[in-house]
Amino acid sequence: MRMHIRSGRVPEPRSGNASQNLSAQISTARPSTEEPKMSIDPEPASSVPTVARRSLLRGAAAVGLVVVPGTSLLSACATSGGDSETDGGGGTKSDKNPFGVKEDAALDVVIFPGGYTDKYATDVHEPLYKKAFPKAAIKHEAVTEISTVVQPRLASGTNVPDMINNSGSKLLDFGAMVADKQLADLTDLWDAPSVDDPGKKVRDTVVPGTVERGSFNRKPYVLYYVSTVFGLWYSGKLFSGRGWTQPADWDAFLKQLDDIKKAGITPYGYAGANAAYYQYTVILTHAAKLGGQEVLKNIDNLEDGAWKQDAVKQAATAWAEVGAKYLDKAYEGLKHTDVQLQQNQYKLAYYPSGDWLENEQKKDAPADFTYQLLPIPVKGKLSTKAVRATAAEGYLVPAKAKNKAGGLEYLRQMLSRAGAKGFGELVGSNTVVVGGAEGVTFPPGVTSSTNALKAAGKEVVDFFFDGDYKDIEQECRTATNALMFGRETPDQFCERMQKKADAVKNDKSITKFTR
Amino acid sequence: MTIETQRATSPSRHSTPDRGKPSTRSEARILSRLGQVALILWALVVIGPILWTFLASFKNTAEIFSSPWTLPAELRLENWSRAWTKAHVGRYFFNSVIVVGLSTFGTMLLGSMAAYVLARYTFIGNRFVYFLFVSGLAFPPFLALVPLFKVVQNFGLLNTYTGLVLVYIAYSLPFTVFFLSAFFKTLPGSVAEAAVIDGCSHTRLFFQVMLPMARSGMVSVTIFNIIGQWAQYLLPVVLMTSADKYVLTQGIAQISVNAGYEADWSGLFAALSMSILPMIIVYAFFQRQIQAGLTAGAVK
Amino acid sequence: MQHRKYPFVFGFLAVPVALYLTFVISPFAQAFYISMTSWRGFAPPKWIGFDNYRRLADDGTFWKAVQHNGILLLVLPLVTIALALLFAFLINVGGGSRSGTMSGVWGSKFYRVVFFFPQLLAVPIVAVLFQTVYRPNSSGLINGFLMKLGLEPVGFLINPKLALWAIIAALVWQCVGFYVVLFSAGMASIPKDIYEAAALDGAGGVTLFFRVTLPLLWDTLQVAWVYLGIAAFDAFAIVNVLSVDNGGPDGTTTVLSVEIYRNAFAFSRYGYASAMGVALFFFTLTFAALTLRVTRRESIEF
Repeated sequence: MRMHIRSGRVPEPRSGNASQNLSAQISTARPSTEEPKMSIDPEPASSVPTVARRSLLRGAAAVGLVVVPGTSLLSACATSGGDSETDGGGGTKSDKNPFGVKEDAALDVVIFPGGYTDKYATDVHEPLYKKAFPKAAIKHEAVTEISTVVQPRLASGTNVPDMINNSGSKLLDFGAMVADKQLADLTDLWDAPSVDDPGKKVRDTVVPGTVERGSFNRKPYVLYYVSTVFGLWYSGKLFSGRGWTQPADWDAFLKQLDDIKKAGITPYGYAGANAAYYQYTVILTHAAKLGGQEVLKNIDNLEDGAWKQDAVKQAATAWAEVGAKYLDKAYEGLKHTDVQLQQNQYKLAYYPSGDWLENEQKKDAPADFTYQLLPIPVKGKLSTKAVRATAAEGYLVPAKAKNKAGGLEYLRQMLSRAGAKGFGELVGSNTVVVGGAEGVTFPPGVTSSTNALKAAGKEVVDFFFDGDYKDIEQECRTATNALMFGRETPDQFCERMQKKADAVKNDKSITKFTR
Repeated sequence: MTIETQRATSPSRHSTPDRGKPSTRSEARILSRLGQVALILWALVVIGPILWTFLASFKNTAEIFSSPWTLPAELRLENWSRAWTKAHVGRYFFNSVIVVGLSTFGTMLLGSMAAYVLARYTFIGNRFVYFLFVSGLAFPPFLALVPLFKVVQNFGLLNTYTGLVLVYIAYSLPFTVFFLSAFFKTLPGSVAEAAVIDGCSHTRLFFQVMLPMARSGMVSVTIFNIIGQWAQYLLPVVLMTSADKYVLTQGIAQISVNAGYEADWSGLFAALSMSILPMIIVYAFFQRQIQAGLTAGAVK
Repeated sequence: MQHRKYPFVFGFLAVPVALYLTFVISPFAQAFYISMTSWRGFAPPKWIGFDNYRRLADDGTFWKAVQHNGILLLVLPLVTIALALLFAFLINVGGGSRSGTMSGVWGSKFYRVVFFFPQLLAVPIVAVLFQTVYRPNSSGLINGFLMKLGLEPVGFLINPKLALWAIIAALVWQCVGFYVVLFSAGMASIPKDIYEAAALDGAGGVTLFFRVTLPLLWDTLQVAWVYLGIAAFDAFAIVNVLSVDNGGPDGTTTVLSVEIYRNAFAFSRYGYASAMGVALFFFTLTFAALTLRVTRRESIEF
């Protein structure tokens, strides 16, 4: 999915539903600006014996004679990482340096080079940090397969990065990291004075909901930086050429899908192979618009019968009908890139996605394609204008980072006006920084999603279960495909999801989150 | 080694009339026809996708997706140059050659030593060591990934050719020992005894007598190892994290992800072709030796 | 052979065993230990005894995966060996008895080279290739052809009834060539006079195959069975790349290795994933032990 794959903007905030695609399971620490120093730092716990054994074995391998005694399992044990939490800093704290960064301390930054690439980090955020601390050396690593590369480093406590952009199909599991106390508490960051206005706390310079989005059981651990709006996307050019306008309600929408079908274009489609996530976002947003915010809150909090609420059932029924009548069955076997390409070739009318789509397709879509967003055209407790919007693309500071203060400072710099504006200009997306996009001209798609978000006002919905409970997320993908491609009925969909949610609720080994 | 050579050397036989009964002859002819058809079909099935990849490497994305069964409108060589330079296929190829070359050599040396001792010497613990090796055939490798990372890191061998080579050797040993020890067992004991009587040391006996005798088996296991290590993917993904040390499979996989990001499908197929072609050429060139090796080794 | 035996044995075994213990056994030993913990990948693991194994017993997905591995274990060797035997026989003997000498069909050298090609490709490459072969619309290699003929496209990977078979077919595609060469090698070393004698007695191709070739190849067949069986227990890369939704649609193609991978790397449940891995280890070991027992080879020399 895009998520998976490109996932720069992975719409899987809070832990992300990485489906693990082998093709995406590829890791890549891109060449960093410096020589990667794969250091031999002995880990704190057992440094002496390790070193001794290491040189011994190297000798053994070379000479081919010495026997390694027992290759002592314990000291080589992968699981024996210490948990010493470092206290950052070492420098003096001030308004300009609220976390007490030591000014010559090196900073190790890991960026996921997905849809956004890693240019925004090397060209905008890192220079900002460098400007604040000219003596600091920044080690930049672009890593596609975050968990493969970073997890062993966190587990062993060696080479722990100071700031990680945890994203992509192979992102680290946020829930597990929180449970294992791997993440630095970001309360200090949110309470620190902002870069642009020391009189204002950082938490007051971001869009409401940002702190909550990155909180686990109400404690903030993750900065979700990119503001993302979800909806149904179509080509402004195609639609105006055919005289199709935004449908005002569900009936008009269905009627329009009929017209589109008559015109020989596939009316609606998503990629079943890896992007079922996009479709269940649509179904759940639909449900929330019918039944109000509570619908999603119940699902997130694992309330009894949450998946059997009327609103959920109605939404599933509505979309099963769309699936039966307007969806190309072959799409179940396609990846998001294939389906998006079909839309760019005007073979597909509506495609559900987040507003990273336009940037992702900028090379493939015709120049005059003009992406436009349609909020799900239904109303109930909420109006037709309501949308799902969220903050996406997680950034975190490991609890064991050597330069934790530097990591926090890096996040603070990202949240500055300059950081947000530079990001907006480079990748064409909004950030969570209020007014951060002032002076940036966005392309038509992002402009339309920005307007939709504005129009929605307080009617913005969001859900968290996908990041909190991977089992439910996976089941929801599978169930959504079964529903949309006609293998299961809406009742079966609700039944099946409820069963999974109950199983998770009753499983004591799974950490529960409430919102 | 084949029957054909025999046929060629004895042309006179062709002129002699068939001695089989008529029914047998027609049966044979039908079988031969059907067989020919089956072989052609399978050859098409095998060549089809590979040829298609090759053709797609000259197409652009639109052509690839809209008309899979047509020839490229023009030879877009830039796909190949893009894959070679931008995607560093050349570099990855070189890395693979180094790593696989060294580790295959190491595997064969160490594996044959262990297999030989286990096959031809009785000592306390022989069976234990043998089964320790053989049970390795059953280990699902990704189960060990995280602990393995730590072990390699402890030796300071992360991101080094040495580290990857040692790990490849270690993971190739179960198969190599299993196969070669069976092979060493089949070698006649008389030669070895004669050599020992002549005062030959154990080590010399191995290197100068037994190893040459086992040549055919060694060749076939070497081929198995080269093929297996060349295709290895999981281990390098974990152990080689810096892009300039990637082996070919990693590189291809990365390109295939990037193709998803950038929709550079033609670049992907060019890279695929680049990684496939040399293998095919090398194989076509050496296939006689390779098959002779397999003959001798596997069947004995 | 007794003189100075132990120093020699020790010297020859030391390095291979040391390497093997360090890089294979010790990580796996740790994996066994991890399977008894609730380790999530970061903080030191907590010992929970056999809880993970108890969970396995009730895990429907796990058993589904086991079942698919079972199907693979039966079908993959059977189909691959059958095809490989047929092709090897045709290539070597299929030309019929010409003047009493068995010969392969015309072009047998060509086939022997070409059939081996897929074996040269790494699995990720095969998977990328077959994504294109199976693509469910007109851009797919098979469906593009079918649709040109005016037929409905086939959802190879999206029809729950077809998907596992499509994946097995890709594996067979890759494996057959190797066994063709292996069996050809075996057949070539069967003394020709046996065939000639049989042919003189009037034995046709089919009879030759079942009465002569098959019995003499029995050992090689059993070796092939073991290799293919072990391959069937893995099948990770091909399922993970080729299947829809990683083991889908609706879990109809998932195998143990994919579930292990999912639990470890997507869910960060290393403990549970390791328990699955240990289960897989014992399945494979049982299979290998059973087969090896049957295969115990006599050293017959022709």
